[in-house]
Amino acid sequence: MSGEHKILSIDYSKCIGCETCESVCKFANDTPRIHMTRTRDGVMAPLYCHHCEKPNCALVCKRGAIRRDRDGAVILQTMHCRGCQTKSCLVACPFAAIFETDKGVMLAKCDLCANRRQLGLGPACVDMCPCGAIAYVARAEAEALETDASRAAFARVMEHIKPSGPAGK
Amino acid sequence: MDAMNFNFACAEPAPPKPGSVGIIGAGPSGLAAAGYLSCLGYQVEVYDKLPKPGGLMLFGIPGHRIPAERIALGVRDMERKYGVIFHTQTKICCSAPLHDEEGDHFCKEMLGFGELIKKHEAIIICSGSWKSRKMGIPGEDLPGVYSGLEFLFPIRAARYQSPSVKIPDVAGKNVVVVGAGHSAVDVVHGAIRLGAASVTMCYRRTAREAPCGVFEIERAGELGAAFRHLVTPLRILGAGKVEGIEIRQGELAEAGERGACAMVPGSEKVAALPADVVVAAIGEIATPPFAKELGLEDVRKGEVHWLHMTAIENVFVAGDALTGPSKIGKAVYSGLRAARSLANWLDLKALNRQDAYAYDDLIAIDDHKGGARP
Ligand SMILES: Cc1cc2nc3c(=O)[nH]c(=O)nc-3n(C[C@H](O)[C@H](O)[C@H](O)COP(=O)(O)OP(=O)(O)OC[C@H]3O[C@@H](n4cnc5c(N)ncnc54)[C@H](O)[C@@H]3O)c2cc1C
Ligand code: SF4
Repeated sequence: MSGEHKILSIDYSKCIGCETCESVCKFANDTPRIHMTRTRDGVMAPLYCHHCEKPNCALVCKRGAIRRDRDGAVILQTMHCRGCQTKSCLVACPFAAIFETDKGVMLAKCDLCANRRQLGLGPACVDMCPCGAIAYVARAEAEALETDASRAAFARVMEHIKPSGPAGK
Repeated sequence: MDAMNFNFACAEPAPPKPGSVGIIGAGPSGLAAAGYLSCLGYQVEVYDKLPKPGGLMLFGIPGHRIPAERIALGVRDMERKYGVIFHTQTKICCSAPLHDEEGDHFCKEMLGFGELIKKHEAIIICSGSWKSRKMGIPGEDLPGVYSGLEFLFPIRAARYQSPSVKIPDVAGKNVVVVGAGHSAVDVVHGAIRLGAASVTMCYRRTAREAPCGVFEIERAGELGAAFRHLVTPLRILGAGKVEGIEIRQGELAEAGERGACAMVPGSEKVAALPADVVVAAIGEIATPPFAKELGLEDVRKGEVHWLHMTAIENVFVAGDALTGPSKIGKAVYSGLRAARSLANWLDLKALNRQDAYAYDDLIAIDDHKGGARP
């Protein structure tokens, strides 16, 4: 089942914040679905969809516009999305990986390069990351790739998205 | 280790197209353009003055941050599967005299720009931004004063064994690094690894404002580097060689209500720091061949009739050569866009219908204009 589906997994400890993933995504998909953020301690890091096993975004969308496709990618079906005011999906994403845009339904999210998958290609960001920091692997495999360094770096990025404790705002 | 797939745009090469494209510079922008155009079936030839393709990804940024092998494998795929020809150690001759930029001593061959224009249907200049910015203070020419790239380039290049490449001798010395960008951080790491006795980073603003971020400064601190904020370098001290650096040092005000960091007014004092080596890692400037003749200023402003095209019709420009120092991602994007624009131009030229090209895309509110992100 979903354990075999491939997902993106970025090792933030290998990432140098060079923006190549975002650029290539933009070139491949016009509106990028992976976005650089600058954390409070000044580190540039890409935010991206983890294609969760139990995607919160899909759960909260009343229109059922967020679905899993054949390959297990969690995709936003723009055809069903109403671009609603509440944008619950955007708020619901624990990884801040649904993005507001000024086009169409005003939302964009990673679909693991659906157009490329049709041609037998993988996600473009994976191909072009100079550091090999992005893996396109089965979920279980992604977990096996984790290291102490990657977990610590991930925690730093998460701390930025969702500050915990009194220091956060 | 998987290859960096510069040919990400296709699963396999398209049938060969007539015509060849020359790319000057094998940094991220040139390699991305080469990958894209070779996917389309063009015969692509890449020229670089250095012994290996990769540009600053290989010769500027330290190896522990970008694995050299990943770039090499991607280049090999382009050569083997897509027939891209790499001419390394070949400098495309330009207005600047030889041995003016870092890495010039590597080139074995010089090719005229004019020859290249005739040889290929079209050309993209992706020569990067390699001339280092100067501090503009007295004593800057003393031995022991380096620019960021002058300091870092030999560390990476030494393994390619050229007798003229000498790693800066910093063992047991006091090193002062001016700047707080990524290259300044790279210099700090380099100096520590080469056994410097002390390393001090000096920045004109505060750590919070540093382009490299507080995290990097803290990490440099853990490795033993000191950080001084609110520093303005005044002059390099020494007779015959660097002995110190005179600075104006401000004092940081207590964090205000909004947490803003400011200088205590009138707190600036002149001080001298002892130093044997001073590295000014304050940025590079673009050095494309024939900048004026190519009308690069107009390309930068987007005042061109064809995206990324220079004043010479079949010559395009992309990456840091166009924008000045930026980032790998920006250079890649710029290279891809220039490649696409070039392919459109070649297609329509074949039909003799250049006028039909959609105009909107051209004057693009262009993303290639460097610029910091909020
Ligand atoms: C020390 C340092 C650290 C950096 N760290 C980062 C980072 O962490 N993240 C990030 O995103 N960016 C970083 N950058 C910036 C990044 O490296 C550049 O923005 C990027 O490499 C630009 O790509 P480019 O293809 O335009 O040019 P370059 O990478 O500069 O490549 C240009 C190529 O052209 C060749 N060339 C030049 N002139 C000629 C000629 N006349 N004939 C033949 N060949 C020629 C050069 O040899 C070179 O190989 C750093 C830069 C430096 C200097
Ligand atoms: S391309 Fe790779 S190294 Fe660069 S920002 Fe994206 S994940 Fe990080």
